[in-house]
Amino acid sequence: MPRTRDLEVIPGTLELLILRALAWGPMHGLAVLRWIETGSGRTLRIEEGALYPALHRMESRDWVASEWGYTDQGRRARYYRLTAAGRRQFAAERLRWERYADVVARLLHTEPAT
Amino acid sequence: MSAPDERDRPWQRLRRAFRLPPSRDRLAAEVDDELRFHIEERIEEFMRVDGLARADAERKARALFGDLDGYRRDTRDIDFAMNDRRQRMDTREALVRETRLAARALRRSPAFTLVTVLTLGLGLGAATAIFTLLDAVVLRPLPYRDAERLVALSSPVPRLKGQTRWGLARHEMFYFLDNSRTLEALGVYQVSNVSVMGSGAERTERVRWVQASASLMTVLGFVPHRGRLILPDDNHSQIPSVVVLGHGYWQRRYGGDPGIVGTSISIEGFPLTVVGILPEGADLPDDKVDLWAPAHVDSTTVMNNHTWSAIGRLRPGVSAEAAARDLAPLTERLPEVYPQVYRPDFVRNTGFSTDVVPLHDAVVGSLVTRSLWTLFGAVAVVLLIAAANVGNLFLVRIDARRREMAVRTALGADRAHMAVHYFAEAFLLAAGAAVIAVGVAGAMVQLMIATAPGELPRLTEVRLDGVSMAFAVVGALLAGIVFSIVPLWGARPDIATLRQAARGQTSSRRRMTVRRFLVGSQMALAVVLLAAAGLLLQTFRNLRTVRLGYDPQGVLTVAVALPEITYGRDALRASAVLEQLADRLRLHAGVTAVGFGDRLPLSGGDWCTGVTLETASAGGAVGTCPPTSLVSPGYFEAMGIKVEGRALDWAGMSAGDGAMVVSRAFARHHWPDESAIGKGIRFTRGAYYRVVGIADDVTGSSVDGSPMELVYFPMRPMAASPLWGAPVQTTLVVRTTSDNPLALLPAIGAALAEIEPQAALSNTATMETIVARSLSRHSFTMLLLLIAAVVAVGLSAVGIYGVMAFMAGQRRGEIGIRMALGAQASAIKAMVVRESMLLCAAGVAVGLVGAFLTTRALTALLYGVQATDLPTYATVAGVLMAVSGAASYLPARRAANADPAAALRGDS
Repeated sequence: MPRTRDLEVIPGTLELLILRALAWGPMHGLAVLRWIETGSGRTLRIEEGALYPALHRMESRDWVASEWGYTDQGRRARYYRLTAAGRRQFAAERLRWERYADVVARLLHTEPAT
Repeated sequence: MSAPDERDRPWQRLRRAFRLPPSRDRLAAEVDDELRFHIEERIEEFMRVDGLARADAERKARALFGDLDGYRRDTRDIDFAMNDRRQRMDTREALVRETRLAARALRRSPAFTLVTVLTLGLGLGAATAIFTLLDAVVLRPLPYRDAERLVALSSPVPRLKGQTRWGLARHEMFYFLDNSRTLEALGVYQVSNVSVMGSGAERTERVRWVQASASLMTVLGFVPHRGRLILPDDNHSQIPSVVVLGHGYWQRRYGGDPGIVGTSISIEGFPLTVVGILPEGADLPDDKVDLWAPAHVDSTTVMNNHTWSAIGRLRPGVSAEAAARDLAPLTERLPEVYPQVYRPDFVRNTGFSTDVVPLHDAVVGSLVTRSLWTLFGAVAVVLLIAAANVGNLFLVRIDARRREMAVRTALGADRAHMAVHYFAEAFLLAAGAAVIAVGVAGAMVQLMIATAPGELPRLTEVRLDGVSMAFAVVGALLAGIVFSIVPLWGARPDIATLRQAARGQTSSRRRMTVRRFLVGSQMALAVVLLAAAGLLLQTFRNLRTVRLGYDPQGVLTVAVALPEITYGRDALRASAVLEQLADRLRLHAGVTAVGFGDRLPLSGGDWCTGVTLETASAGGAVGTCPPTSLVSPGYFEAMGIKVEGRALDWAGMSAGDGAMVVSRAFARHHWPDESAIGKGIRFTRGAYYRVVGIADDVTGSSVDGSPMELVYFPMRPMAASPLWGAPVQTTLVVRTTSDNPLALLPAIGAALAEIEPQAALSNTATMETIVARSLSRHSFTMLLLLIAAVVAVGLSAVGIYGVMAFMAGQRRGEIGIRMALGAQASAIKAMVVRESMLLCAAGVAVGLVGAFLTTRALTALLYGVQATDLPTYATVAGVLMAVSGAASYLPARRAANADPAAALRGDS
């Protein structure tokens, strides 16, 4: 079993992950975090509080919109959903990340030409 | 959006209308809620899943979360910034959108837009113009350093002559300065006209000249533009040897050549060295002076010669009243200090005292201040009436747009949008009005400067400037605010409106009451204005019919000045030159009489000359001090003054027959029970001059003044009895049959140049112009007030027309029923007109009370009519009733002619 929470999130990827999470549908902040936890098999280390400045910054950029709603337990929580601009942003970021990861991975497997 | 509560306080309604933004507290609380939710959820999760105790679970949750306070702060700041930015964008967007909408809405109702903008623009423009005048003349301090410390000093002598004021004597200047604790500096001066002699191609010209103590320039805070000012040493010589040029004269005559300093110019034949030039704007209060020369002011010269104007500078923090109190005991002691010139009972006999008034008040005067405030009040009233009309238009528009607004509400427009819309509309209108107002004010200021009476002080300082513009803009902004709040207050868009059928669209009773109140107030205000204008109109008519005592038609007057150096000590030679001139002019076609006199009617001044009357009893003599005039034969004929007995003639005067004339008032005063003819009067010594004629009275310095007790001496003295000077400064009076007496001027100039090339002509005016100018003080105020009143009545007529038309429209259904039941068209007409007359009568009644209370302020401006003149009031009331009757006739006829069936169906 791999050690838990040993990977730090590379700066810039948190927003991409949030966009991905919200692409499923509206969620509150904690739900986004739980999705990352579960999806990553608890390997990603995120300081939970960092999520909120990120969410609000994204809201101020109009990628997401927020609204107060109620959880299944009847708790009042702030729900975020993707806007149209957020959707476009997600598509673009995702593409960029995949190309980037691809390039980095390829380079890592290439022998230096001597 | 929930329906607004009917019981809302107005400010709550407004607050909601403006959709106040979420406060920072609220944003912060939401962040707190969001983070708390996160932590709480985590705690419960750890307790449930990991089986931790609450305290441990909490510790774990917080550790996972990280720096709670830091993240909270970051998140909040992001929200604050976002909120600010969105608000700005919202506002800007809403403004642009609603302004565009408002502009479109206004374009759709061009009549409303045009009438509103024009009405407000004209009203505001008139108010701005008068404010400009008021500001420049009355409100603004005089253009001197620390002008509020400047005072004018003068001496009333109530026991000698009622209204007469003396100036200061020169020794008083030193005496007051040495002994008072309130004066910092004091200067004296005398203004007159002198000839600057021409040399070569230059003509001799008359200029305005002041002889002053050096201290006057200190008092007024002058610094030289070039060279130096007058210095105290200059004041020691009897005849001035230096002169300082006023800036305007330097530019005009010498083209601004600085080389003029140090050269010599010839004044009345005396050479004076130019030692300096004053900067622009360095003038006597309200008097443009060309040349400044030192007066002979010397502490050792003491003369009972109270003829000097005086301006003092008070020590800081001292009031004019305090200075007057300070100088009073000093004035009382004058006879003790200067026994050589005052008799011990001097103060008691004359009532002599020293008045100290702020220079501004002395220059502007209470009559001018009062006239201008009256005019400003009048235009303010016109503006109010105009605003009432516009208010009425807005109310009508609201009613007309209730459905439109209800539709917009139903479609989801919120109150904020509509509030912004109303604001945008009102401010677009206000901006239009401001533009028109500035244009109107500019034109009116030009017109006022052109037509204002010459005696209106500080006229040269009047111009449309930043202050005037600010007045117009602030006025327009206020109007904009008022008119954008009216709709918010008056009409809440109510979706229920949509359920009402078209004919059920009645205006609320409250709004109708507001509308009637507005029209009634308009009427009341119009009454006040019309009454004031009526009183001034009567004053003007009374003045026009005052018996002048002379006939101004076809009379030309020109001041003639002979050089002092040649003629000053030779009265015979001076009068011989003038006689030659008269002889030549009499030969001209159309000239019926020619004469000279040095004190014309309406030419101002209240100086007098001490003379001695011969009395029959005991061979004694009585001294008195009447105003005097040195006249030539032909003067009475030229001026058209009737003379009982006989006037002077050239042959007799040249022979030195000593004939003279007195005015009827003088004769009646001094010889009440016998004829004045044959009585003797002389100047100082020698033979008596004999009264041969009694001239009709002429008025003094103003048409409404009392007749002068005038004494006319011949301009050529008898050899055995000198007069007080040679006639070197006199006025030529020519009577012609021509319609344009001014056409004679070139001939006069040519004739004089042949006889005496160094002589100068100035101040050309027809006698009719002089009379008109004297009346202009009244006519100016009257004309402006009359215009204001006519505009007010016109606006009120429009107002009453609008309301009656609207009311008749509202009651179409009711009128239809009446007519269906057999009412005659005439009865319907009478009903509408009666309604209007009742409304008007109420307004007129209030207005009459207002007029009664306010026209008293006009008393000083009136002549021959009481401020509470009943016929005037009755006429005003009648005029306004007639106007309101006429204004309501059209709506009445339309109502009566309506088809009852159509009216009942609710069709238009």
